[in-house]
Amino acid sequence: MRIGVFICHCGSNIAGTVDCPSVAATALTYPDVVFSTDTMYACSEPGQDAIIQAVKEKNLDGVVVASCTPRMHEQTFRRAVERAGLNRYMFEMANIREHVSWIGKTKDLNTNKAAELVRMAVEKLRRNRPLFAKRFETVKRVLVIGGGVAGIQAALDCADGGQEVVLVEREQSIGGKMAKLDKTFPTVDCSSCVLGPKMVDIAQHPNITLYTCSEVESVGGYVGNFQVTIRKKATYVDWSKCTGCGLCVEKCPSRKHPDTFNEGLCTAPSINIPFPQAIPKKAAINAASCIMLTKGKCGVCAKVCPVKCIDFEQKDELVTVDVGAVVVATGYDLFDWHKYPQYGEGRYKDVITSMQYERLLSASGPTGGHIKRPSDGKEPKNVVFIQCVGSRDRSVNRPYCSGFCCMYTAKQAILTKDHVPDSQSFVFYMDIRSPGKMYDEFTRRAMEEYGAQYVRGRVSMIYPQDDKLIVRGADTLAGTQVEVPADLVVLAVGAESARGAVQLGEKLRVAPDQYGFFVESHPKLKPVETNTAGVFLAGACQGPKDIPASVGQGSAAASKVLGLLSKKELESDPAVSRVNPGRCVGCGKCVQTCPFGAIKMIEDRFGNPKAEVIDTVCQGCGICTVTCPQGAIQLEHFTDNQILAEVNALCPPKMFANFE
Amino acid sequence: MSQLDTLKSAIKDRLGELECVIGWEQGYDPLHATPLFIRTEADLDRLIIGPLAVHNLATYLTAYKGKKIGVVVKGCDSRSVIELLNENLISRDDLVIFGLCCDGVVSQRKIRAALPADPGFVEAVDISANGLKITVAGQTAMLNMTDILADKCRTCQHPNALISDVLIGENRQSASSTSLACQEEFEAKSDAEKFAFWQETMSRCIRCYACRNACPMCVCRDYCIATSRDPLWVSQDNSPAENFMFQMIHVSHLAGRCTECGECERACPVDIPLMLLRRFMNKQVQDVFEHQAGTDLEQTPPLLTFKVEEERINERGW
Amino acid sequence: MPAQDVRELRIVGFLCNWCSYGGADTAGVGRFSQPTDLRIIRVPCSGRIDPLFIVRALLNGADGVLVSGCHPRDCHYAEGNFYARRRLELLKRFLPVTGFDARRFEYTWVSASEGQRWQHVVTEFTRRIHELGPAPNFNPASEMDWNALALHAAQGQTCPCHG
Repeated sequence: MRIGVFICHCGSNIAGTVDCPSVAATALTYPDVVFSTDTMYACSEPGQDAIIQAVKEKNLDGVVVASCTPRMHEQTFRRAVERAGLNRYMFEMANIREHVSWIGKTKDLNTNKAAELVRMAVEKLRRNRPLFAKRFETVKRVLVIGGGVAGIQAALDCADGGQEVVLVEREQSIGGKMAKLDKTFPTVDCSSCVLGPKMVDIAQHPNITLYTCSEVESVGGYVGNFQVTIRKKATYVDWSKCTGCGLCVEKCPSRKHPDTFNEGLCTAPSINIPFPQAIPKKAAINAASCIMLTKGKCGVCAKVCPVKCIDFEQKDELVTVDVGAVVVATGYDLFDWHKYPQYGEGRYKDVITSMQYERLLSASGPTGGHIKRPSDGKEPKNVVFIQCVGSRDRSVNRPYCSGFCCMYTAKQAILTKDHVPDSQSFVFYMDIRSPGKMYDEFTRRAMEEYGAQYVRGRVSMIYPQDDKLIVRGADTLAGTQVEVPADLVVLAVGAESARGAVQLGEKLRVAPDQYGFFVESHPKLKPVETNTAGVFLAGACQGPKDIPASVGQGSAAASKVLGLLSKKELESDPAVSRVNPGRCVGCGKCVQTCPFGAIKMIEDRFGNPKAEVIDTVCQGCGICTVTCPQGAIQLEHFTDNQILAEVNALCPPKMFANFE
Repeated sequence: MSQLDTLKSAIKDRLGELECVIGWEQGYDPLHATPLFIRTEADLDRLIIGPLAVHNLATYLTAYKGKKIGVVVKGCDSRSVIELLNENLISRDDLVIFGLCCDGVVSQRKIRAALPADPGFVEAVDISANGLKITVAGQTAMLNMTDILADKCRTCQHPNALISDVLIGENRQSASSTSLACQEEFEAKSDAEKFAFWQETMSRCIRCYACRNACPMCVCRDYCIATSRDPLWVSQDNSPAENFMFQMIHVSHLAGRCTECGECERACPVDIPLMLLRRFMNKQVQDVFEHQAGTDLEQTPPLLTFKVEEERINERGW
Repeated sequence: MPAQDVRELRIVGFLCNWCSYGGADTAGVGRFSQPTDLRIIRVPCSGRIDPLFIVRALLNGADGVLVSGCHPRDCHYAEGNFYARRRLELLKRFLPVTGFDARRFEYTWVSASEGQRWQHVVTEFTRRIHELGPAPNFNPASEMDWNALALHAAQGQTCPCHG
């Protein structure tokens, strides 16, 4: 073999603490290395050209680049060696930046370590062999999980792009958190007026199949060919017949369970349509409170229903769909503020969340858009907003900024003045974070035009006095303690990961971060991709986001899906497991341990059972290779011999007589 | 009818449908037994059972894959059969199991040690419940069974075949002790002592692979990774490290599968106490996975499965 | 090979590509300085790590072996680290009977975002290995030692009761 070695300086990133020319000189002494040099930026165009030129001039059949992490530029260099006429797998990388120059202080030690890592790469490369990708077709359909604004946008963009879309929503209607909002910042336009038409588009789009009251049960397969099972939960209403007339809702005698759409501010009938603009506009029965389903008698809805669509016998239904890509848009949930003792832990009825306040402001809300405080229905005059409830607070394990609370609090202060002109708003804040187009101007308007009084400081306690709540806090700018008598206290609760996100992540093989938000492939350069090919992220499931950002990411995820599915065929990674039928004894242990069902048993021409890998299904984890006692199934590019070569390069065996 | 006669008649009943039945016969002298492959009724006359029938005949089963055969098993051997069945390496339909209730077998090594000199060719052996009366060159020695009983029998928990089509003999009690003094003594040694011990024993190893070939669970045979170039785990260098690497491969591939039949150690021509490794590994498997190989037809080898929450594995704090 | 600094010991790391290798990268990007002893072998998944690789490294004379994968439940391949956990735990518990100091082998979980944790793991493990000092050679280091061992072995020393 003729191997060329290229030691990258990465400017001074590597060369600063590694003697690159010396590493290059050492590399020349390694077996099969016929050419070795150092280069300023291996990944730059001249750097890549130099590699290609060397391959051609020195007649190389393998290349080692010692530079940054292979997670960064392995693909870059693989393409470069391919341009030079080599197979892309005749290339190895030694990570001498992240694993050497950036973490070690001593130049001698770093240089030695870099040289050894190069040796390891050379030894591995000597056992590499050309690998060739297989092509496979993709299913031209995409699954969008979550029908909030991000999911809606992704679904519509994918559908408009000509792909079939399956949209799965856990709740009865799509719309997500945005559907609950009254107005949106910074334009103060009506939320449902903006979102409503998009929701209708979802319902009417010929390319979109909508499953609400549904959850993803399981996900199998791989990019281009996922098999998804969806659980359609029983609604006890035949939606193929229901017209959404609402007669049942009107007549239902059981009206005591908390209305979740209205954030528990009022109660709802057991058969309900959550809000007037709901999509689909169909009734569903809450099994926990329905008299018929709990006690076995009632059935009023069934009697009044003009199309006879009530079905108390309905069961959950499992639907299986094949999709080529998945967009996860499961959004966020609100922080449970009851963890804070200083806000009364729920003892005071007039301490409410910002989302509850949205429902009070909304014309379709429980008060018809009139601000009435929950305790006595009186119109509040003094409204206190407390920001960063469950944001930027290590004590409740929420050290991150939720990002949108400053803005919606300003919006709510403005709307309060609009609704109750003689009211006064007070906002307790830590910092005002309002980057964004027209955002800072908006918060200024809240203060300057609408007279909201901003107090920089935290609230230490809330206590009742007469029919008011006294909010005691610090004013850190004035250096004093302040007490504000409030008629209503609104907590700007922060965002946290959606309930069930972690479990969904397990099904999709998308890792959550420590707070339960899904981890993107790269924080800057791959913000909507995940480490699982074919699964993309949109909206607040990846981290707290406001509406414009969620919509933007929904479109971004859709464009990634369209890009992926626009290819007629995808190439499978050839670094998959391969069975040596000669060694295989047909015990099936590999079949037993493969998480992907990528290995099947076949019979050879003598009728002996043998394992066989389905190339396109194999993900290349190598569990089977370790399971197989005969070493009959080897993960290509990470074979036993390749890894052993690396081990032996690092710890050369001490032999008495070396017959090798 | 004696146990042997009962067994013979049971085999005779089934022999017609079977390729062969594997049992034991007398070997080159009355002290040594050797496997017997019974194909005709005439072969049956040579069948023996008892304390000299030491071989674990389950070792031969995978070689007969696809053919219907019979096998005579002691309690310990039956565990190997169960494990092979669990791992889908043999088919229950192709197997007729003649199970024994076993009183224990001898250790030839212990007999050798108990006799004043290497016996060479033994003229006669008289077996009784108490022990063996061995006649060599006209001289007779009486050996107590307690002195020459194999180690595995001293701690045997399954003397009666756990799986059988025909079970012969009366149920035997399992041994009261579950630990061997020499094992505990060895484990109590310091790392340095143990390290030196293996260095020394491994420098004796001639890598004849007798331990592997005698092992009923070593089903790779010609495809053992210890003797292949691709993958190349062990070099030809006959050094202690390479020899130990081979032994580590054997231990590793038996993890959760070893039925502790002791055949590896029995087969070793240079007296390497391999069971020290096996017993210790099995104890760990028992501790972590509550698993004893070959005791239950329904069990899955612990390394072929997992639990999301492992109650007995403590993630170490870092 | 250039003259090795005497203070450095040989520590081999096996890291899964998706979490721990990324975590080591994150540590590098964050310039979290670490001891230089460790050499990392990248594998796709901790489920690819055959415990025999670790045995091979130890028999070859590695002073320490460190394995790291994704946290349980976070495996890129869903189940790889669950299998790895069982295999590695068994190896860890088995090592004492071989006379290899079990402290020379450790396995842990580090995610791609845990650069600081990686720094901590490497620093602590390297410190531990340095406290243990260089590992003894399983193969004799010189021809003289080799002959002495052969002589010793010829005299025979076995477990007294074995058989």
